Amino acid sequence: MGITGSALVNPFDRGIQATGEDSLGGPVRLPGGFAMPVQIERILGFGRSFSFWPLLFGLACCAIEMMALGGSRFDMSRFGMEAMRASPRQADGMIVAGWCSTKMAPRVVRLYEQIPDPKWVLAMGSCAISGNIWDTYGVVQGVDSLIPVDVYVPGCPPRPEALWQGLEMIRDRIKQSRHAYDGLRRIPARDALTGGTGEA
Amino acid sequence: MISLEAIKERLEGQFGSRLLDRADFRDEVTYAVAPGDWMEVLSFCRDDPQMAFDQLDCLVGDHLPERAAAPFQVVAHLVSHTHGQRLRIKTALAEDPTLPTVTNLWPSAGFDEREAWEMLGIAFEGHPDLRRLLTTEDFEGYPLRKDFPLRGTIGGRIRTELKGKI
Ligand code: SF4
Repeated sequence: MGITGSALVNPFDRGIQATGEDSLGGPVRLPGGFAMPVQIERILGFGRSFSFWPLLFGLACCAIEMMALGGSRFDMSRFGMEAMRASPRQADGMIVAGWCSTKMAPRVVRLYEQIPDPKWVLAMGSCAISGNIWDTYGVVQGVDSLIPVDVYVPGCPPRPEALWQGLEMIRDRIKQSRHAYDGLRRIPARDALTGGTGEA
Repeated sequence: MISLEAIKERLEGQFGSRLLDRADFRDEVTYAVAPGDWMEVLSFCRDDPQMAFDQLDCLVGDHLPERAAAPFQVVAHLVSHTHGQRLRIKTALAEDPTLPTVTNLWPSAGFDEREAWEMLGIAFEGHPDLRRLLTTEDFEGYPLRKDFPLRGTIGGRIRTELKGKI
């Protein structure tokens, strides 16, 4: 049976149930018995990994180093990452650059939720990872208490090279179709496709 | 343009002994007044043509627990663009501090007073919109008071359910 009807919406999205213990192995099953060879997804991931567009979003001082990476000296446009999107709807993920205050926390979560699947999150700097020295009333002690984080880049601030390495790790995860949210949260579209049992 | 000396003379001639203290430091002058004179002195500074302090540069609060009788203080930094002069007026406040608002003189006092209120608990009577500015709306306590704990997320919590409201 071929792909028909609504299954066509985005058959390559990981939102569709992946079977097997290892999220890398086995075919991706679509409703109706169609199985997409995992190789196709690998090819798509390979393509995606060359145009990872982060959300244009800086919270504190770490954002300065993120801008340095975007500038001509470090030049992340070499890797297809220079197109920082101002709208979360157009982004593939976010770099949480800096400390997140308790007042900012709901906005960070909202921005994350507005990024369409699949998405990847990089926590940049000690503040985003753990709150750094700001163990105070106003600072969230690590953004991973808010959103699932794929890659942590420590430092205060991390050098642009370190952020670059983190983005390379994100690219590896893109190629492997791995997400920090796998198994962590329910995705309505995925649930609808799999009858409410859809855990990737 | 008139000199700082003339401004001092004018203010001291007008209020005399109601100016409790004067500090001269690096060509700038600070006067202390009683909380009851706060409004009158500041209106005079703005409205008198020889003073003409048309801008409230900033308005800040302080907590000085070592001053047991009056642990709080509010300082208004004024700028006169007409005369090119600066002036500071400060007042000391007892526990449970309140002060009349100066938003009717300088609307820019709105944010400054909101901050002084949320950080130190200095209530500004008559402020049109005394809401929390930098912390979440259900925050408890006054974080810039010296007795507020330095560590820990006490007072604030991550409130994602307030998403639509703040
Ligand atoms: S990790 Fe350091 S540089 Fe980065 S946001 Fe925190 S304090 Fe600033």
